[in-house]
Amino acid sequence: MSVLDVLQQGLTAAQAMGWMQVLLSFAIAQQSLEHLARGDRMIFVPRLILCVVMGLGVGGAWPVWGLWGISLAMLWRYQGPYNGGSDKMTMLILSCLSLAHIAPTPFWQEMALSYLAVQLVLSYFVSGWVKLVNPEWRRGEALCDVFRFSAYPVSEGLRRLADQPRFLFVMGWAVILFELVFPLSLLDPVALKLALLCAAGFHFSNACFFGLNRFFWIWLCAYPALIWFQDRIFG
Amino acid sequence: MLRLFALFLPTVIPSWRFFKTVAPSPRIEYRLISGESKGRWQEDRPRPLHLGGWQILRRMLWNPDWNEQLYLVSCSERLIEAPSQHSIDEINLRVAKALPAGTGSLQFRLVFLSRQGKQIVKLVEYESAPVSLASLKGASA
Repeated sequence: MSVLDVLQQGLTAAQAMGWMQVLLSFAIAQQSLEHLARGDRMIFVPRLILCVVMGLGVGGAWPVWGLWGISLAMLWRYQGPYNGGSDKMTMLILSCLSLAHIAPTPFWQEMALSYLAVQLVLSYFVSGWVKLVNPEWRRGEALCDVFRFSAYPVSEGLRRLADQPRFLFVMGWAVILFELVFPLSLLDPVALKLALLCAAGFHFSNACFFGLNRFFWIWLCAYPALIWFQDRIFG
Repeated sequence: MLRLFALFLPTVIPSWRFFKTVAPSPRIEYRLISGESKGRWQEDRPRPLHLGGWQILRRMLWNPDWNEQLYLVSCSERLIEAPSQHSIDEINLRVAKALPAGTGSLQFRLVFLSRQGKQIVKLVEYESAPVSLASLKGASA
């Protein structure tokens, strides 16, 4: 089987759910271990155990439902997401997977997975759109400000990038254009896989520059739903 | 129940407006107060001057300190947008946890950085009431 054949392959709904659960068990375990280093054992020991159970593929839908319940408890404990968008994406994936498991018919299962796929596409497109309509992003100033004074750069040395406005202008526009054209990749299975590879690279760079490691892992978890969706709608 | 629903809803209908604007950015500063003597304000967990490639890669898998710092940024923003005792407690406890045990009180303030023209300006937007450091250390143990 050539690389092109692999890139052209889609996933069934069951395969997508299986892959998501394996990836999710790793991503949530990683989050939980980080939390355990800070305390909060009441929530994160059970969460870690459920990840192991889900990763081993035992217990059917119960570990997914259990993790969903714990995520709800976390929202209450921290009065919102602990880690912003990555916690929102964790909850979104768990909600859609939980619904897919209790769906009475394949149609409703597909609706739950489709909702996740559409939200994943929107996570890129809307982010690109809100930047496009902001003159500071169009002029390249916004990315300079992110490096100059925002709370995100992981070291003081990185702030020197704010003194490279031409470089950041090009990078800012590259991000905006990539996020805006991302939905077009749904038209072709190979284009989608390549777009997801670029998106993973984008999240990896965000993790390196801004310490957003949890975003990298949790966004990967939703990719199987989009691969299934592309095959189901356009395949 | 309504509160929980209000917290849950944005996770299943997210806005996805990452970095829509670069808003004024919070920093937490704290000082220790002993009797009449007030210590100088210090930045909580200042970031390192430089991170090597290996450290950055390691943080892909293990980054609890930084993720807690991002949570404190969220608490700071929430404290200004919708003040709550929860945000105050979370900041107090987590700042105290990183300090050595001691007597006296801990006070924190929120400083917001923003750009005005070509200048970066600092504005103190919140100053907490002093809380006994020993009681905070006890609560976070």
